[in-house]
Amino acid sequence: MKKEIKHTWFFHQPPQEVWEYLTKPELLEQWLMKTDFQPIVGHKFRFICNNIAWCEVLEVKPFTKLSYSWQADSASDNKPFNSKVVWTLVPKENGTELQLVHNGFTVLEDLVNHENGWNACFKQIEELLNTIKQ
Amino acid sequence: MTAQTLDAFQVIADPSRRQMMQLLSKDSMTINALAENFDMSRPAVSKHIKIMYNAGFLSITDIGRERYCTLKQDGFSELQDFINYFDKFWAGKLKKLETLLNNKTKGK
Repeated sequence: MKKEIKHTWFFHQPPQEVWEYLTKPELLEQWLMKTDFQPIVGHKFRFICNNIAWCEVLEVKPFTKLSYSWQADSASDNKPFNSKVVWTLVPKENGTELQLVHNGFTVLEDLVNHENGWNACFKQIEELLNTIKQ
Repeated sequence: MTAQTLDAFQVIADPSRRQMMQLLSKDSMTINALAENFDMSRPAVSKHIKIMYNAGFLSITDIGRERYCTLKQDGFSELQDFINYFDKFWAGKLKKLETLLNNKTKGK
Protein backbone atom coordinates (compact mmCIF):
# COMPACT_ATOMS: atom_id res chain seq x y z
CA MET A 1 0.00 0.00 0.00
CA LYS A 2 1.39 3.35 -0.98
CA LYS A 3 2.00 5.53 2.04
CA GLU A 4 4.20 8.30 0.78
CA ILE A 5 4.79 10.64 -2.10
CA LYS A 6 8.26 11.21 -3.51
CA HIS A 7 9.41 13.52 -6.25
CA THR A 8 12.87 14.41 -7.45
CA TRP A 9 13.27 17.44 -9.64
CA PHE A 10 16.29 19.05 -11.20
CA PHE A 11 16.73 22.80 -11.41
CA HIS A 12 19.42 24.69 -13.25
CA GLN A 13 19.69 27.17 -10.38
CA PRO A 14 22.02 26.86 -7.37
CA PRO A 15 20.57 25.62 -4.02
CA GLN A 16 20.57 29.16 -2.60
CA GLU A 17 18.20 30.29 -5.28
CA VAL A 18 15.91 27.26 -5.05
CA TRP A 19 15.90 27.68 -1.27
CA GLU A 20 14.48 31.19 -1.65
CA TYR A 21 11.55 29.77 -3.54
CA LEU A 22 10.90 27.30 -0.74
CA THR A 23 11.12 29.82 2.06
CA LYS A 24 9.96 33.26 0.95
CA PRO A 25 6.20 33.70 1.19
CA GLU A 26 6.04 36.06 -1.78
CA LEU A 27 7.88 33.49 -3.91
CA LEU A 28 5.99 30.48 -2.52
CA GLU A 29 2.80 32.20 -3.49
CA GLN A 30 3.91 32.27 -7.11
CA TRP A 31 4.16 28.51 -7.56
CA LEU A 32 2.60 26.82 -4.51
CA MET A 33 0.07 28.65 -2.39
CA LYS A 34 -0.54 31.78 -0.39
CA THR A 35 1.19 31.33 2.95
CA ASP A 36 2.47 32.98 6.12
CA PHE A 37 5.50 30.70 6.26
CA GLN A 38 8.70 31.73 8.04
CA PRO A 39 11.84 29.58 8.13
CA ILE A 40 11.87 29.31 11.93
CA VAL A 41 11.55 25.96 13.71
CA GLY A 42 8.28 25.84 15.63
CA HIS A 43 6.63 28.54 13.52
CA LYS A 44 3.00 27.69 12.86
CA PHE A 45 1.69 28.73 9.46
CA ARG A 46 -0.85 27.97 6.79
CA PHE A 47 -1.03 27.25 3.11
CA ILE A 48 -4.21 28.72 1.76
CA CYS A 49 -6.12 27.93 -1.39
CA ASN A 50 -9.53 26.22 -1.58
CA ASN A 51 -8.66 24.28 1.53
CA ILE A 52 -6.29 25.31 4.27
CA ALA A 53 -3.30 23.22 5.23
CA TRP A 54 -2.20 23.84 8.82
CA CYS A 55 1.54 23.50 9.19
CA GLU A 56 4.41 23.81 11.64
CA VAL A 57 8.08 24.16 10.76
CA LEU A 58 10.02 21.11 12.00
CA GLU A 59 13.49 21.53 10.56
CA VAL A 60 15.45 24.30 8.86
CA LYS A 61 18.95 23.68 7.51
CA PRO A 62 19.58 26.60 5.19
CA PHE A 63 20.05 25.60 1.52
CA THR A 64 19.96 21.91 2.48
CA LYS A 65 16.81 20.74 4.22
CA LEU A 66 13.40 22.00 5.19
CA SER A 67 10.53 20.13 6.73
CA TYR A 68 7.11 20.92 8.12
CA SER A 69 4.08 19.11 9.38
CA TRP A 70 1.03 19.25 7.13
CA GLN A 71 -2.46 18.92 8.52
CA ALA A 72 -5.07 18.99 5.85
CA ASP A 73 -8.81 18.82 6.01
CA SER A 74 -10.05 15.44 4.89
CA ALA A 75 -12.67 15.29 2.21
CA SER A 76 -16.12 15.39 3.78
CA ASP A 77 -15.72 17.41 6.95
CA ASN A 78 -13.09 19.26 8.86
CA LYS A 79 -11.36 16.48 10.69
CA PRO A 80 -7.74 16.86 9.67
CA PHE A 81 -5.15 14.17 9.16
CA ASN A 82 -1.48 14.55 9.96
CA SER A 83 1.38 14.28 7.54
CA LYS A 84 4.85 15.63 6.92
CA VAL A 85 6.58 17.38 4.04
CA VAL A 86 10.36 17.19 3.69
CA TRP A 87 12.41 19.12 1.14
CA THR A 88 16.04 18.17 0.53
CA LEU A 89 18.34 20.19 -1.70
CA VAL A 90 21.35 18.46 -3.20
CA PRO A 91 23.92 20.67 -4.95
CA LYS A 92 24.90 19.41 -8.38
CA GLU A 93 27.51 20.59 -10.83
CA ASN A 94 25.15 22.75 -12.85
CA GLY A 95 22.21 23.15 -10.56
CA THR A 96 20.19 21.62 -7.74
CA GLU A 97 18.43 18.34 -7.23
CA LEU A 98 15.33 18.96 -5.18
CA GLN A 99 13.77 16.01 -3.41
CA LEU A 100 10.30 16.11 -1.97
CA VAL A 101 8.89 13.52 0.38
CA HIS A 102 5.35 13.88 1.63
CA ASN A 103 4.65 11.10 4.10
CA GLY A 104 3.80 10.38 7.71
CA PHE A 105 0.10 10.04 6.96
CA THR A 106 -0.21 8.87 10.53
CA VAL A 107 -3.37 6.82 10.39
CA LEU A 108 -2.41 5.22 7.10
CA GLU A 109 0.95 4.09 8.43
CA ASP A 110 -0.61 2.65 11.51
CA LEU A 111 -2.99 0.67 9.35
CA VAL A 112 -0.37 -0.69 7.00
CA ASN A 113 2.66 -1.12 9.25
CA HIS A 114 0.93 -3.51 11.59
CA GLU A 115 2.89 -6.72 11.85
CA ASN A 116 -0.08 -8.76 10.67
CA GLY A 117 0.48 -7.35 7.25
CA TRP A 118 -2.05 -7.72 4.53
CA ASN A 119 -2.82 -11.03 2.93
CA ALA A 120 -3.56 -12.06 -0.61
CA CYS A 121 -6.97 -10.42 -0.66
CA PHE A 122 -5.09 -7.13 -0.95
CA LYS A 123 -2.91 -8.11 -3.81
CA GLN A 124 -5.01 -6.04 -6.13
CA ILE A 125 -4.63 -2.97 -3.97
CA GLU A 126 -0.92 -3.54 -3.79
CA GLU A 127 -0.72 -3.64 -7.57
CA LEU A 128 -2.78 -0.51 -7.81
CA LEU A 129 -0.40 1.25 -5.47
CA ASN A 130 2.65 0.14 -7.34
CA THR A 131 1.20 1.52 -10.53
CA ILE A 132 0.66 4.86 -8.85
CA LYS A 133 4.19 4.86 -7.53
CA GLN A 134 5.80 4.50 -10.95
CA MET B 1 -28.70 2.41 14.22
CA THR B 2 -27.57 5.76 12.85
CA ALA B 3 -25.92 5.33 9.51
CA GLN B 4 -22.94 7.62 9.79
CA THR B 5 -21.06 8.26 6.60
CA LEU B 6 -17.44 9.23 6.99
CA ASP B 7 -14.71 9.62 4.40
CA ALA B 8 -11.99 6.99 4.16
CA PHE B 9 -9.48 8.90 6.29
CA GLN B 10 -12.01 9.47 9.03
CA VAL B 11 -12.87 5.79 8.98
CA ILE B 12 -9.29 4.72 9.57
CA ALA B 13 -8.66 7.56 12.03
CA ASP B 14 -10.23 5.43 14.75
CA PRO B 15 -7.80 2.92 16.33
CA SER B 16 -10.53 0.34 17.04
CA ARG B 17 -11.61 0.34 13.42
CA ARG B 18 -8.01 -0.05 12.25
CA GLN B 19 -7.67 -3.01 14.59
CA MET B 20 -10.87 -4.53 13.22
CA MET B 21 -9.54 -4.19 9.69
CA GLN B 22 -6.30 -5.82 10.69
CA LEU B 23 -8.19 -8.78 12.16
CA LEU B 24 -10.32 -9.00 9.05
CA SER B 25 -7.28 -8.84 6.78
CA LYS B 26 -6.54 -12.43 7.85
CA ASP B 27 -10.00 -13.83 7.29
CA SER B 28 -13.71 -13.06 7.25
CA MET B 29 -15.22 -13.00 10.73
CA THR B 30 -18.66 -12.91 12.28
CA ILE B 31 -19.59 -9.77 14.12
CA ASN B 32 -19.68 -11.77 17.35
CA ALA B 33 -16.20 -13.21 16.83
CA LEU B 34 -14.92 -9.74 16.03
CA ALA B 35 -16.58 -8.28 19.13
CA GLU B 36 -14.79 -10.79 21.36
CA ASN B 37 -11.51 -9.04 20.59
CA PHE B 38 -12.71 -5.71 21.91
CA ASP B 39 -13.54 -4.34 25.29
CA MET B 40 -16.67 -2.58 24.13
CA SER B 41 -20.37 -3.30 23.87
CA ARG B 42 -21.76 -5.30 20.99
CA PRO B 43 -23.78 -2.26 19.76
CA ALA B 44 -20.58 -0.21 19.79
CA VAL B 45 -18.86 -2.84 17.65
CA SER B 46 -21.86 -2.90 15.30
CA LYS B 47 -21.68 0.85 14.95
CA HIS B 48 -18.03 0.68 13.89
CA ILE B 49 -18.89 -2.06 11.42
CA LYS B 50 -21.69 0.02 9.99
CA ILE B 51 -19.29 2.95 9.52
CA MET B 52 -16.75 0.74 7.72
CA TYR B 53 -19.52 -0.80 5.65
CA ASN B 54 -20.87 2.60 4.60
CA ALA B 55 -17.41 3.73 3.52
CA GLY B 56 -16.83 0.60 1.43
CA PHE B 57 -14.21 -1.03 3.65
CA LEU B 58 -16.19 -4.21 4.16
CA SER B 59 -19.12 -6.27 2.99
CA ILE B 60 -21.57 -8.11 5.22
CA THR B 61 -23.01 -11.51 4.34
CA ASP B 62 -25.69 -13.35 6.30
CA ILE B 63 -24.93 -17.04 6.63
CA GLY B 64 -27.45 -18.85 8.77
CA ARG B 65 -27.94 -16.79 11.87
CA GLU B 66 -24.54 -15.19 11.66
CA ARG B 67 -23.41 -12.03 9.92
CA TYR B 68 -19.98 -12.32 8.34
CA CYS B 69 -17.75 -9.33 7.65
CA THR B 70 -15.27 -9.41 4.79
CA LEU B 71 -12.86 -6.66 3.80
CA LYS B 72 -13.63 -4.90 0.57
CA GLN B 73 -11.34 -2.90 -1.68
CA ASP B 74 -13.39 0.23 -2.32
CA GLY B 75 -12.53 2.01 0.92
CA PHE B 76 -8.84 1.31 0.52
CA SER B 77 -8.89 2.52 -3.06
CA GLU B 78 -10.30 5.79 -1.82
CA LEU B 79 -7.33 6.18 0.53
CA GLN B 80 -5.05 5.59 -2.42
CA ASP B 81 -6.96 8.05 -4.57
CA PHE B 82 -6.25 10.61 -1.92
CA ILE B 83 -2.51 9.89 -1.93
CA ASN B 84 -2.64 9.89 -5.70
CA TYR B 85 -4.27 13.29 -5.64
CA PHE B 86 -1.41 14.69 -3.55
CA ASP B 87 1.11 13.03 -5.82
CA LYS B 88 -0.29 14.87 -8.82
CA PHE B 89 -0.66 18.05 -6.81
CA TRP B 90 3.06 18.16 -6.01
CA ALA B 91 4.12 17.14 -9.51
CA GLY B 92 2.06 20.02 -10.90
CA LYS B 93 3.46 22.50 -8.41
CA LEU B 94 7.06 21.48 -9.05
CA LYS B 95 6.50 21.85 -12.77
CA LYS B 96 5.23 25.34 -12.09
CA LEU B 97 8.31 26.15 -10.02
CA GLU B 98 10.53 24.90 -12.82
CA THR B 99 8.79 27.14 -15.35
CA LEU B 100 9.03 30.06 -12.98
CA LEU B 101 12.76 29.62 -12.40
CA ASN B 102 13.49 29.04 -16.06
CA ASN B 103 11.64 32.16 -17.12
CA LYS B 104 13.50 34.12 -14.49
CA THR B 105 16.87 32.93 -15.82
CA LYS B 106 15.87 33.79 -19.38
CA GLY B 107 14.79 37.25 -18.28
CA LYS B 108 18.26 38.03 -16.90
